[in-house]
Amino acid sequence: MTRSPGFEEIVLPHLDAAFNYARWLTRNDAEAEDVVQDACVRAMRFLPSLRDGDARPWLFAIVRNAWYNRIARRAGSADPSPIATARHEPADGALDPEARLLQKDAVGRVREALERLPHDFREVLVLREFEEMSYKEIASVVGVPIGTVMSRLARARDRLSVLLRSSPLPMERWR
Amino acid sequence: MMCDDVERDLDPYVDRELDADSIAAIRSHVGTCASCRRRVAERAGVSRLVRSMPYRVASDRLRTRVVRRVQQARLMRRVLAGAAAAALILSTVAGITFARSRAIQSDALVEDLVDSHVRSLLAEHLFDVRSTDQHTVKPWFLGKLDFSPRVVDLAPVGFPLVGGRLDYISGRPAAAVVYQRQQHTINVFVWPASDRDSGVRARTIRGFNMRHWDRNGMSFWAVSDLNAVELDTFIRAFQLSPG
Repeated sequence: MTRSPGFEEIVLPHLDAAFNYARWLTRNDAEAEDVVQDACVRAMRFLPSLRDGDARPWLFAIVRNAWYNRIARRAGSADPSPIATARHEPADGALDPEARLLQKDAVGRVREALERLPHDFREVLVLREFEEMSYKEIASVVGVPIGTVMSRLARARDRLSVLLRSSPLPMERWR
Repeated sequence: MMCDDVERDLDPYVDRELDADSIAAIRSHVGTCASCRRRVAERAGVSRLVRSMPYRVASDRLRTRVVRRVQQARLMRRVLAGAAAAALILSTVAGITFARSRAIQSDALVEDLVDSHVRSLLAEHLFDVRSTDQHTVKPWFLGKLDFSPRVVDLAPVGFPLVGGRLDYISGRPAAAVVYQRQQHTINVFVWPASDRDSGVRARTIRGFNMRHWDRNGMSFWAVSDLNAVELDTFIRAFQLSPG
């Protein structure tokens, strides 16, 4: 069985990272899985365009595009977007019991704060802190100049600090 | 170095994106300025806090789904490329020469195959095992034959597997694996043959299209009322499909 070269060797090793990134983009397991699957099919098709480049930022840019395409498709349909409204939901109030429990520990607090960040900020922070990407790599994934990456990171951390300061528990642990 | 400069370079400093001179300048300022020291520590703290979050990994289910989807997409691409190439060849080579040079010799075996195909449709004895799952059909032959026939999943490219049956062709046991294309049935007869691989040979007998090839020690005979172009697409998919 012959096959196009290298998908298994080039793309599959980054599947966990792609999923983690998609999970932070979508904030939903099922949606993140669909995005990663779409992205992998595209990645296979575009594999020749990678040549000798670094596969991870290349794949992340494809994941990001797959996510935006899904949003665009959804926006075109009659259904109101659950993702678009999620951002404006109050943090408390409508939380289910599991979320209430989570809220009691630091991980839950940080996760919630991250999820409440505007998408543009959360994204650069995830790429920087989880993936330890350089500013240059982040710029290539997001498609903005390095200066924009830097200012978004600064504003993301400012906002996160403010959000966490209103929740004392993790700040205590962190000092 | 002023406090404003530290504030401006706070993030690239924490992220180690500054050049050595700038780093040294900030270090020496921070050594003497308590408020900037606190600011840097706070910034590094936010960074550490996010990094302490659990990393979410892809489930095995997702991994399996991705591998499967990629194999399907790859197969589909190759089948389409093959169909285009075949169409090009047919349009440029004199069709009749092409067909004659690669024709199946007519003999009792060929007649038997067509008879068996027709019988399977008429007597409604199309299947002994009826399943669209290759992992049901393939094991079914175990213990009934002294070889294991190739059974592949071609539903993604429009030729769903529908079942399998034990058959006798010119006195020898054969596996008949049955695929469908809309209302057309494709019988693929399989039995052991010589180790030499062959190209695909074609023939039309009593209105049925027939294709024959040897591969990996097995002899394959496909018989169907499907048109030649679609049957060739099927055979290409059959040959290229993993499993």
